[in-house]
Amino acid sequence: MSDISTEKYVEEARRGIADPVLRRSLASLQDRFGRGTAEAYRKLPEGPDLRLKAHEIREKAIANLDVLLETLTAKIRQNGGHVFFAATAKDAVDYCVEVARRNQVRLIVKGKSMVTEEIGLNPALEAAGVEVVETDLGEYIIQLAGEKPSHIIAPAIHKTRNEIADLFVRKLGIRRTTDPPELTQAARKALRQKFLAADMGTSGVNMACAETGHITTVSNEGNIRMATTLPRVHLAFMGMERIVARLDEYEIILRLLCRGAAAQTMGTYASYVGGPRRPGDSDGPDEFHLVVIDNGRSRILADPQFREMLCCIRCAACLNVCPVYGKIGGHSYGFAYSGPVGAVVTPLLTGVNRAKDLCCGETLCGACMDACSMNIDLPRMLLALREKLAYGDANWQVEPASRAEGLAYRGWSWLIRNRRLYEFCLKLAAAGQKLLPQEKGLIRRLPPPVQGWTQSRDLHPLAQETFMERWRNKKVKSNE
Amino acid sequence: MDSLDQANFFRRIRTALGHAPDVSRTATHLFSQVPSAEDLQLLGRVHQRSAADREALLERLIEAGKPINLRVIPVPDMDAARTAVLGVVDEKHPEWGEPKSVAAWRHPLIDRLGLEKPLALLQVPLRITDPIDPEAGRDRDQAERKRQRADIIASFIGVTAADFCMADTATLVLRNRPGQPRSVALVPSIHIAVITLDQILTDMKELFALLRWDERFRPEGLSNYMSFISGPSKTADIEATMVHGAHGPREVYLFVIAG
Repeated sequence: MSDISTEKYVEEARRGIADPVLRRSLASLQDRFGRGTAEAYRKLPEGPDLRLKAHEIREKAIANLDVLLETLTAKIRQNGGHVFFAATAKDAVDYCVEVARRNQVRLIVKGKSMVTEEIGLNPALEAAGVEVVETDLGEYIIQLAGEKPSHIIAPAIHKTRNEIADLFVRKLGIRRTTDPPELTQAARKALRQKFLAADMGTSGVNMACAETGHITTVSNEGNIRMATTLPRVHLAFMGMERIVARLDEYEIILRLLCRGAAAQTMGTYASYVGGPRRPGDSDGPDEFHLVVIDNGRSRILADPQFREMLCCIRCAACLNVCPVYGKIGGHSYGFAYSGPVGAVVTPLLTGVNRAKDLCCGETLCGACMDACSMNIDLPRMLLALREKLAYGDANWQVEPASRAEGLAYRGWSWLIRNRRLYEFCLKLAAAGQKLLPQEKGLIRRLPPPVQGWTQSRDLHPLAQETFMERWRNKKVKSNE
Repeated sequence: MDSLDQANFFRRIRTALGHAPDVSRTATHLFSQVPSAEDLQLLGRVHQRSAADREALLERLIEAGKPINLRVIPVPDMDAARTAVLGVVDEKHPEWGEPKSVAAWRHPLIDRLGLEKPLALLQVPLRITDPIDPEAGRDRDQAERKRQRADIIASFIGVTAADFCMADTATLVLRNRPGQPRSVALVPSIHIAVITLDQILTDMKELFALLRWDERFRPEGLSNYMSFISGPSKTADIEATMVHGAHGPREVYLFVIAG
């Protein structure tokens, strides 16, 4: 299993907020892609409402997942491909290691895939003595730096060109330059040798089409095409939900994927893979393997409250509008998936209590739903997770996050139903607040245990006369 | 073991969906057996396209190509297409410092271009990727594939002929066939594709309607590997600055033969 550090959310978020370089890169990313995507939806012939149709298509696919996966599997096997079903991350990783071992693989070139981050593929392959090279430029930079991706589509968004220049001097031995085209060319040259020497290529799957029996991969760089064309073996990893029934449905998903991911009308490359090289073909892999991964997804599928999350195609549009992601950055989320999608899917995959800060950290502003290419109601699911954290949930093995909070709300609920007592307490508090430090008519600091409220903002004091009192007084006056 | 894993996998999905765990379901309604009204309309539109419509589509294609650096160049006939291809070969320099060499598909349209002799005059070898004879035996097959791979890697330009081109997104559509390896459009630094005017479609909707329902294209379908190519390879992974030429070709030319 891959590293999970969701417990460090608060600590990491603090570090992200304090990093001016990160804040600037995230702001420029959100400014460009956030707006760009909204504009791209508006320019669709069907308008932004196409997302509603896509949502229906995805819901229908998820409701018939068994049928669609069986259809896809039969077609791929008919075309000479192998399909393996992995219940857990470990099963998927073990299968890949086994295929690599059987084919005497020494070097693997990887196309960008978040699900391989989820299952922790790279460390397992390295432990088995296989060299693994990430080939998406951003992922390559991260791998050289020994870091983790901080954005689903732009994994190296937290790195500056200066840092990348230093890294390339150190790792690739090039003359120092901070020019992005020159840096890109250096990586292109280094990775070309890897592509040509690799024995096996791996990829993710953006979306599969059951009717035709193809998986598709989309990229702008061409690295996935290289990684799946030149080596002897192609192994593709697919979250089990990434499928639609028909090609005309797929067409809608692909258009929205490109718009959601990068505000493009079409990614540079989209490839449809239905199996290995056929007799008479001079290139393409001898072996094609598809690994379909559950790893906690069937549990999400079984819960009607969260099933909608399986409609997600990981386009990352929600990251590009989220005010929280935009300030704290992707590393805070402590797992493969960051931003609003991570705030819902990570707790469901890795444990709700363990990842509680992720869903509590979001603002519920709803920007993610407006940006979502599949129109997924992320705020609803954030609330549902918070509810489970408040009251506990046996199904998801959730312990109530804070008993004190539960008690406090119960006390509050009792108090506000006792009008007299409530008003008395208000009077008491209105008098007591005079003891708190104030500036320009605002309270600067609250005492423990509620000091968090005033950590980064000032609080308006309670009015000396409550609304109810004013109402009563006004009534008395008008009756006179 | 595989089959047990698979059985359990589907059992979990069916249980989660509230179906009997061990009964394989059929759901033919999910797939279409006959073309929909929309499909028929799309097919009609493609088949009844007038010369003026085609010209308009070409204009759309040229416009859509501009922002993504796909150079769409209409040429009046085969001779003009040949001259144009030779012009690129002559003008451009190999990226990796290798001697000039061109790889090209075995394809009727490329055959008709007749590139071999004029390239020989420029002293540029043309490496045609002929289909591999599957009956020739394993060793011959492997040796031939190895040779073609080396040829393609050594070439600075790859020449292909797309099956279709979608005007709205400036996207080339290439389906896999023996003699037409996908690496010719991928490994060389420059990709040149040739098509005829009638191969231009409006968008993916038209393409998929043809691949699903048109008798001419349906048997081959998507083939075992179909690629969409919209312009040269690009990346924006360093400070979100757009750079062309990440891993695939740095330049893509599309010559549209009008005659």
